[in-house]
Amino acid sequence: MADNLPSEFDVVVIGTGLPESIIAAACARSGQRVLHVDSKNYYGGNWASFSFSGLLSWIKENQQNTDISDECEDWRKLILENEEVISLSKKDKTIQHVEDFCFGDQDSAENVEEAGALLKLPAFGASDADRVAQESEKECTLVENTLAEVESQEPEKATGTEPASTVEGNDPEITSESESSHDAALGESTPETGSAPSESSAQGPKKITYAQIVREGRRFNIDLVSKLLYSRGLLIDLLIKSNVSRYAEFKNATRILAFQEGKVEQVPCSRADVFNSRQLTMVEKRMLMKFLTFCLDYEQHPEEYQDYENSTFAQFLRTRKLTPSLQHFILHSIAMVSETDCSTLEGLQATKKFLQCLGRYGNTPFLFPLYGQGEIPQCFCRLCAVFGGIYCLRHSVQCLVVDKESERCKAIVDHFGQRISANYFIVEDSYLSENTCTNVCYRQISRAVLITDQSVLNTDAEQQVSILTVPPEDVGKPAVCIIELCSSTMTCMKETYLVHLTCPSTKTAREDLEPVVQKLFNLNEEKETENEELEKPRVLWAVYFNMRDSSGVEKKSYDGLPSNVYVCSGPDSALGNDCAVKQAETIFHEMFPAEEFCPPPPNPEDIIYDEDEIAPEESGFSNSPETKPESSTEESSSGDSTAVKKEDNEE
Amino acid sequence: MDEDVLTTLKILIIGESGVGKSSLLLRFTDDTFDPELAATIGVDFKVKTISVDGNKAKLAIWDTAGQERFRTLTPSYYRGAQGVILVYDVTRRDTFVKLDNWLNELETYCTRNDIVKMLVGNKIDKENREVDRNEGLKFARKHSMLFIEASAKTCDGVQCAFEELVEKIIQTPGLWESESQNRGVKLSSKEEGYGGGGGACGGYCSML
Repeated sequence: MADNLPSEFDVVVIGTGLPESIIAAACARSGQRVLHVDSKNYYGGNWASFSFSGLLSWIKENQQNTDISDECEDWRKLILENEEVISLSKKDKTIQHVEDFCFGDQDSAENVEEAGALLKLPAFGASDADRVAQESEKECTLVENTLAEVESQEPEKATGTEPASTVEGNDPEITSESESSHDAALGESTPETGSAPSESSAQGPKKITYAQIVREGRRFNIDLVSKLLYSRGLLIDLLIKSNVSRYAEFKNATRILAFQEGKVEQVPCSRADVFNSRQLTMVEKRMLMKFLTFCLDYEQHPEEYQDYENSTFAQFLRTRKLTPSLQHFILHSIAMVSETDCSTLEGLQATKKFLQCLGRYGNTPFLFPLYGQGEIPQCFCRLCAVFGGIYCLRHSVQCLVVDKESERCKAIVDHFGQRISANYFIVEDSYLSENTCTNVCYRQISRAVLITDQSVLNTDAEQQVSILTVPPEDVGKPAVCIIELCSSTMTCMKETYLVHLTCPSTKTAREDLEPVVQKLFNLNEEKETENEELEKPRVLWAVYFNMRDSSGVEKKSYDGLPSNVYVCSGPDSALGNDCAVKQAETIFHEMFPAEEFCPPPPNPEDIIYDEDEIAPEESGFSNSPETKPESSTEESSSGDSTAVKKEDNEE
Repeated sequence: MDEDVLTTLKILIIGESGVGKSSLLLRFTDDTFDPELAATIGVDFKVKTISVDGNKAKLAIWDTAGQERFRTLTPSYYRGAQGVILVYDVTRRDTFVKLDNWLNELETYCTRNDIVKMLVGNKIDKENREVDRNEGLKFARKHSMLFIEASAKTCDGVQCAFEELVEKIIQTPGLWESESQNRGVKLSSKEEGYGGGGGACGGYCSML
């Protein structure tokens, strides 16, 4: 490590999940010196997303029960007599019951490695005379084989080939091996050319092998939590207000699906959807429009629902003039509430929220971040870094140091034995030891992630982002929320779909979710499946796991935490992100009641440089007189940029 | 103004702490140089429009925000970049040796395989050179990169580094044209209205 870590900060944040990252950004933005650490070697904690190989390592790590027992107590020397210590947890215990399944021929993938982004071609000396002459004039050397390499790629690019082809070109042996064993396993002779998967011929179903998934593993960004952003939710508002939105791009969820009588169908969602719907009769269309219009300003019409305030929303729906099919759409796909537990008012609120979010960015209420939900915490971390926050991953914290007299936390001791002091400490729940959490009662989330070969509802438009709620079979059990992502969300390779299933746990994730997976997907490996099964998407790979849900835990449930230590929870099971944003804002305001929460960054022109700053900095920003006119520079603007200078805090 | 801009490109600057990444950026975009520039705080990204071979390109050049100091750049930093400037300090061999790590990281997180790379040996105005020009050239050749030596202080090679990189990107079909087709939604404080999808397909809210 080239740099030494400073040993004094204002705020130390432990954990890089969404609420911690928002707090770190808000603190740095308001001028606090922030140290943000994570014991993992990746950002996001349980909010992270992984490439395929990254997820496989994560699975392995969580299936092993190795307790780290290299107790090094040297740091105890750093603790003074009037101080006591709150040890932090050495191992993350939030993930349980991890089971993964491969439904293809896994052996064929044994020798396959993930393909890198960059080509490591050996240098060769094919020089291009013209090119070199041109370069030397500009004093800039083009490396010869770059040109050759790019040219050799061009024809392939025209057919939309992904990098697999070029890598395969480097290693034909592995390619032919995996392809042939794949063909043999299927008992067919598919006339594949042994090239990229995306080149497979138009006729016949495309078959993605496990080997291809491994090779194209970088194309996957698999989220540990599966969430969407409500287009008028708190997270979207915060992203826009703080300008963090400039670091991310989003895709609209394109359709809302429902599962009724064993069939997946599209829920008409926008006004145009309703009128164009082929599944609804004219009468149904009118019923639905009338009811949804009422929901938009239901508060104005209390007479319509006040008799049912003590009933469930499902019972209320039965009293409206709605067919059973429409009731199903509204209850499960629009309000997305429980049939048994949700009151009429809650149902109306949920329906209204859904309707209000329609049309802001598209014709469903939801957005999904390109490259996965795991991007969002990182975007807030970047804002924190831009405002001087210091980042350390793979950085464990041994303990919090508490002053006995004032009962306030003064410092942390990290795994290098460095003592780092600060005024405020933010700790993510999973970092707290069992001693601290003995009285805490946690819920669990059941999760499954599938890689499939086609969508649960095929239509003409291929690239769909769908959300589907599957109501419980047994009354009282939770509904399962399914989000199906296509490759244009940059979370899976071409010709596959990434399917996330989530519900609050009642048992292990597999017990909770496998029945739903069996209803919607074909888990049989080979051709002895019935015709009906063939129509369902085939699961190529699957993982189940339970994740701790530490949301909603009150701070007083944690034992012996000083008042200047704040706890952030891990992901909750809800679809949106409001919980994390609310928590971050609450904690920030408890620490800094007078400060604004994530205000927009200043315009570059508005920045006033500190008088105490060393002189050259100021002069450096005035227009230098020897500016030479550059013929090729038409326009230079820093209008979109933010350059903020603050006092250096590292010395 | 934006109509005649051919494309917007995302360019990254990476390399070890203290090699002069922010200085190169500020020299190129603002033509300023600050010898005392502290470890990067507050430089997010800068935008500059340049013209190469008659094609106008708007560059969004992203600085590391200092996150490289403890090897903690976010993967999201690398998303969607078309070009990267990899910087080392010719007076510090350790910054040259670490280039392999940077290429690895680039390979892990880069979303495209055809990203154009420019290797820049910075601080050639200084006397105590530790890395020979030929070594840089050889390394660049081995890894299919463009190469130039530069000095953010004297301005030497800076303009050229960016121009060459952009020229190369524009000459690489598929690297930038496809950007317009598969764009995600960018959030802004403006109300989008019913812009998404088929125009008329608003929400119910529009009905009343």
